[in-house]
Amino acid sequence: MSPVGVTFRRTFGMISGLYVTALSVAGFLAASAALFAFNLDMGEGGLSSLASLWALSVAPVLPVLAALAGMEVWSDELKTGRIDILLSSPVSEKDLVKGKFWGVWALTMVALSISLVSAFVFLDFYAPSFFEVSSLWGFIPAFTLLAFQSALWSAVAVAASAVFRNAAGAAATTIFILVAFPRVIWLALSHWTRGGRIVLGDFPLDAHAFDFASGLLGVGTLFSYAILTFFALFAAERVVAFRRFRGRRQRLQRFSMGLSIVLGFVLSFLAISLASRMDLSLDMSVAGSGETRFSPGTREILSRAHGSISITVFLERSDPQFRHVGHFLRSLKREADSTGGVVLEIKYVDPILDTGEALRLVRAGVEKASLVFERGERIAHVLRIADGYGERECVALIERMASPLIRSSVYWTVGHGEASFGNYAFDGLSDIARNLALDGYEHKTVNLADSASQIGSDCALLIVAGARTDFSAREIERLGAYLEGQGDSNGGGRLLVLADRALTRGMENLLSRWGILSEKIHASQFPTVSGTDVVASQFSESHPVSRPFQGYQVVLETPVAFKPSAMATEGSTGADRKKYSDILSAGKTCFAAAVERGGNGKDLAIRPTRIVAIGDVGFVLNGKLRSSANANRDFFLNAVKYLSGRDSLPASGSEASRLVTGMTRSDRASFAMASALWLPIGLFALQALLIARRRRGK
Amino acid sequence: MLEVRNIAFSYRTKEVLKDVSFVVSPGETVCIVGDNGVGKSTLMRVLATVLMPDGGSIRIDGKDALRNPVRYRREIGFLQEDPALYDDMTVKDYLTYRARLKGEPDKRIRRRIGEASEVCRLRALMARQIRNLSFGDKKRVALADAMLLRPRVVLLDDVLAGLDCSMREAAGEIISSVAAFSNVIVTGHEIADLAKWTTRFIVLGSGRITASISTAGMECSSVVSRVEAALKGGEA
Repeated sequence: MSPVGVTFRRTFGMISGLYVTALSVAGFLAASAALFAFNLDMGEGGLSSLASLWALSVAPVLPVLAALAGMEVWSDELKTGRIDILLSSPVSEKDLVKGKFWGVWALTMVALSISLVSAFVFLDFYAPSFFEVSSLWGFIPAFTLLAFQSALWSAVAVAASAVFRNAAGAAATTIFILVAFPRVIWLALSHWTRGGRIVLGDFPLDAHAFDFASGLLGVGTLFSYAILTFFALFAAERVVAFRRFRGRRQRLQRFSMGLSIVLGFVLSFLAISLASRMDLSLDMSVAGSGETRFSPGTREILSRAHGSISITVFLERSDPQFRHVGHFLRSLKREADSTGGVVLEIKYVDPILDTGEALRLVRAGVEKASLVFERGERIAHVLRIADGYGERECVALIERMASPLIRSSVYWTVGHGEASFGNYAFDGLSDIARNLALDGYEHKTVNLADSASQIGSDCALLIVAGARTDFSAREIERLGAYLEGQGDSNGGGRLLVLADRALTRGMENLLSRWGILSEKIHASQFPTVSGTDVVASQFSESHPVSRPFQGYQVVLETPVAFKPSAMATEGSTGADRKKYSDILSAGKTCFAAAVERGGNGKDLAIRPTRIVAIGDVGFVLNGKLRSSANANRDFFLNAVKYLSGRDSLPASGSEASRLVTGMTRSDRASFAMASALWLPIGLFALQALLIARRRRGK
Repeated sequence: MLEVRNIAFSYRTKEVLKDVSFVVSPGETVCIVGDNGVGKSTLMRVLATVLMPDGGSIRIDGKDALRNPVRYRREIGFLQEDPALYDDMTVKDYLTYRARLKGEPDKRIRRRIGEASEVCRLRALMARQIRNLSFGDKKRVALADAMLLRPRVVLLDDVLAGLDCSMREAAGEIISSVAAFSNVIVTGHEIADLAKWTTRFIVLGSGRITASISTAGMECSSVVSRVEAALKGGEA
């Protein structure tokens, strides 16, 4: 057996035979399990994954365990004088340090494994419906990170133990170095320096645990932990070797040893800087954490976009959402970095602490708890966190910011009781109109009854937003002419019709001619939120308007249903062929339909006619958009894009899954008691019995 | 052969060893004597490479203690004044651990421990926990450790300190046995006991070697009187 193996066996045997270690392991299990039970309770219904809750419960206690497990490995040798026997043995200091390190690390890994296994066992027992064996795989990234962290903590504990004859002093120093010192530095940077606070997000060690648990594996992070572990072991070896050089005339050797430790630290720092700069991140698909998985659409948009965009998190750090938002944006930034497209810069502005920055944002009209997208010095978009800040929302904004602004006009019909884009009240369309304006659309109105009011050649599309009174025959004729492309050499017109409880007769006839037939339905037959709402979640995968929204919901209020009319099949070939599509449905009922004519024509230069009919105008009214988080806004915007010929699609993020354990209150209490009290006590009693037996037996 | 050349060592305020040179030839058992604080233990620790000297060189059959310390240490066994052992281990476990740490292959460890326990009379103690042993027994265990792999040089610092008469006798016999296959360098104050089995005395005074007295062909009592005279600063 190699000297490292011999020292490892001895160290592991020695520390596992101490009462203080048994107590430390039991304390670690109790504290981490209590934190886990608490976090599980707090995280119920939230976005956190089970693995991230476990990792965040274990990570803060792990350094304390390593400090207590490693405190005696050298200090006991120093105190008893056995160090001289070790130093006179034919073994290098490096091998001795490595062996002791492996011993301490092995013990922390055993405790970590028990913590993981006990979490599985108790969850399986108390929440069997929630917990699945397949979800064990989701813990691997978190466990990997904690293994790397515990290696570093063990190495530091071994190094501190080599300095102190007093084990308690070694443990206190280790805890200070591992727990207090980094947190104090982080707090100091994030509270006393404005720049530091704006650049730093979550406490890095917690952020690493959260990222890994969510499947975002940073190779640079692991590399940094490994480098620091090697440095701590190198420092420990130098400290042990230092004991040989106690002569008066050996100042030079002592100085060179001290210098080597300093240089080792500088080199480690440089290596870590390099690693974080060249960080390669792997995104593992982890069960229960859909936040970090990005769709091919997102990657395409991020790679296509260029330049630099700054995203400022305008949120208090104490806010429960802060960690999730930070994690999501870090994931997005890594994704953007890996595509080589747009450069994202993430900043954190605390509304209370960063008064200067906060004032600038507030003066610009930004509400608290928002994500602020900026290009240069200009605030381009603000996303309220409460409205959703997922992949779809953020990437759509990035795309809009990074794409060249195409100016085109949207014509809104007036004169029939339509909802107005200039109305800022709950029944207005100002919100969605602002989105369109940011995309480069100019809003214009047209009164079809007034012959002086013309649909200009700049018209990208015409919107009929919930007409309540009927269109005259003349008006329908004008609309038909627009759709046929008469007077416009570029081809067919584009029409977006939003119904308000029912379609007017004239509009009904027009749509029927183009292949869309409307019918009234009873909302109560469908999944409903308020009794009149219809939750539609079936999106056509083949149509560009609906394709990105698989897994999302559009909430409509008393909508009109559609089906293809007999005219939908008119024209079998060429430019006359109409193509009808159900694009949004609930069950067998379609609530949004699209028709295209001429899309597959021989002459591709001819602009095809496109019509999209959506059964409800209310789904994009200000009141609806402000009150609920759903895909309404993006569905509308995507329909506009399709109609106006901007066929690039927004990203399709996967729906973030929520944590629902299904445990009752008494289950929770039993889970906490079993994992945080009975198990640690039982293990401690067992270990103490074994130790006593071993000591008494010989 | 152990060659010690011009060894010097000083603590922060005190120069302990000055230009210490001597050679120990095969078969020799050398005893280093001197008053308290003259540097006997420091010299032993320097020879054991626990302390690095300020200057000079130490070699065993050409293996330099400063240039190639691990190879040099394979050739030595070291017993310190106060035997510091692992209390939680049994004697057998401890010797097994030490043999492994010194790089002995597993298949030879049993034989080595058998030999050492035979020489040091530890057979009856092998299964006992070290914390339950007397001081003298602990010293024998430490001695067994020092001679475990039959090193070229065995360094025994104040080996007889704290032992009663009978135990000193026994220790002397053990050291005589060890001397059959290793050079032994011991330190101590029990000149009469040491003179029985030492081939040479080296007298250390003020950090220097003041006398080297061979015991060959001399009566034990005359050796003692010569060494005591040398210690008092008289003619050796």
